[in-house]
Amino acid sequence: MRDDKLHAYLDGELDAAASLELEREMTQSPALRASYERLRELSAAVRENADYHAAPARFKAGTRKPRTWMLAPAFALVLLAGIALGMFLAQPRDTDALGADVVASHVRATLAGRLTEVASSDQHTVKPWLSARLPFSPPVADLSPDGYALVGARLDYVAGQSLAALVYKRREHVIDVFVSPGARDAAPSAYTRDGFNVTRFARGGMRYWIVSDLNRNELDDFARLLAR
Amino acid sequence: MSSRARFEEQVLPHVDAAYNLARWLTRNDHDADDVLQDAMLRAYRFFDGLRGDARPWLLAIVRNACWTWLQANRPAELTVVDEAEADTPGPEAILARELDRRAVNQAIAALPVPFREALVLRELEDLSYKDIARIAGVPIGTVMSRLARARRLLSEILRPAASAPRLRVHK
Repeated sequence: MRDDKLHAYLDGELDAAASLELEREMTQSPALRASYERLRELSAAVRENADYHAAPARFKAGTRKPRTWMLAPAFALVLLAGIALGMFLAQPRDTDALGADVVASHVRATLAGRLTEVASSDQHTVKPWLSARLPFSPPVADLSPDGYALVGARLDYVAGQSLAALVYKRREHVIDVFVSPGARDAAPSAYTRDGFNVTRFARGGMRYWIVSDLNRNELDDFARLLAR
Repeated sequence: MSSRARFEEQVLPHVDAAYNLARWLTRNDHDADDVLQDAMLRAYRFFDGLRGDARPWLLAIVRNACWTWLQANRPAELTVVDEAEADTPGPEAILARELDRRAVNQAIAALPVPFREALVLRELEDLSYKDIARIAGVPIGTVMSRLARARRLLSEILRPAASAPRLRVHK
């Protein structure tokens, strides 16, 4: 038990009376004093040498830097998909940081094979699942009559905020629809990032980012259906 | 102030501490990333329930997310360790000056999870026993004995490397 006291003393957790008592004991026992000194050295060695792992930038709000560690798998996927390098080089550099993060999220989910946390083609299952877990309730549209099957949804946390990610499929192409509250209505704008087609727009108090490797014509069609 | 703005102001300053804990408990970047992603979502969801200091509150969420993840993915790491205090002498002399970063990092990574978590929260985050007890969900006395045990194990792991005679390398 005296050993535990040495640790508590080292950590500044011993009350004044017990500290004085221990200090008195240490002046009388060189062995106890030596034990304490070894403990202090060990603690200092840990503090000086142990790695401190700071969070990656994507966990911090308002970051605007490109995250190269995320672009690497994206790049591999681009090559696998056989998309021309020219497209990659021609991507526009827009200033929408969330736009970059949602593409990274799409790539991560695709690579990890974890697209959905709730797997359902039923909008009446998906919507309550999301509403129960988010501070907002995203609209969930059934677009299966138009050939875009709802397969489920997941939650995502990007640049300091939580998003809903609705997952649709057109043939074998995955379409991620990221939804977050805020912003005035904005007409769809389309661009390409890391070889993925992205469309973003705002409507009814919600912002949408649509990310997919689906061809641009069909994705535009999908965006029109979603925004209607 | 909006809920999101308050979250950014109160919680996000502690995201480095959150990641550091997740990284030390999962022991790799990729899993730490996944666990923190999940923990931040939960934190955001339960943010209205926050009273007082956000730092131990966030770390408790991260710690629980780590344990849930370890239970699902590496249950062997959570098999019960004997926490009974062994009647062994205090830490052996280690020559702190001879320790390099790698040896210290490897030794911490080799500690069983409950001891590693107590040590990281105490030495790297400088938290009080009370905060560590709250984060780990155990009594303060348990925090004290886990820390003592962590340090004893550390000195045992580090001692042979520091005091063993250097190997001769024949070229």
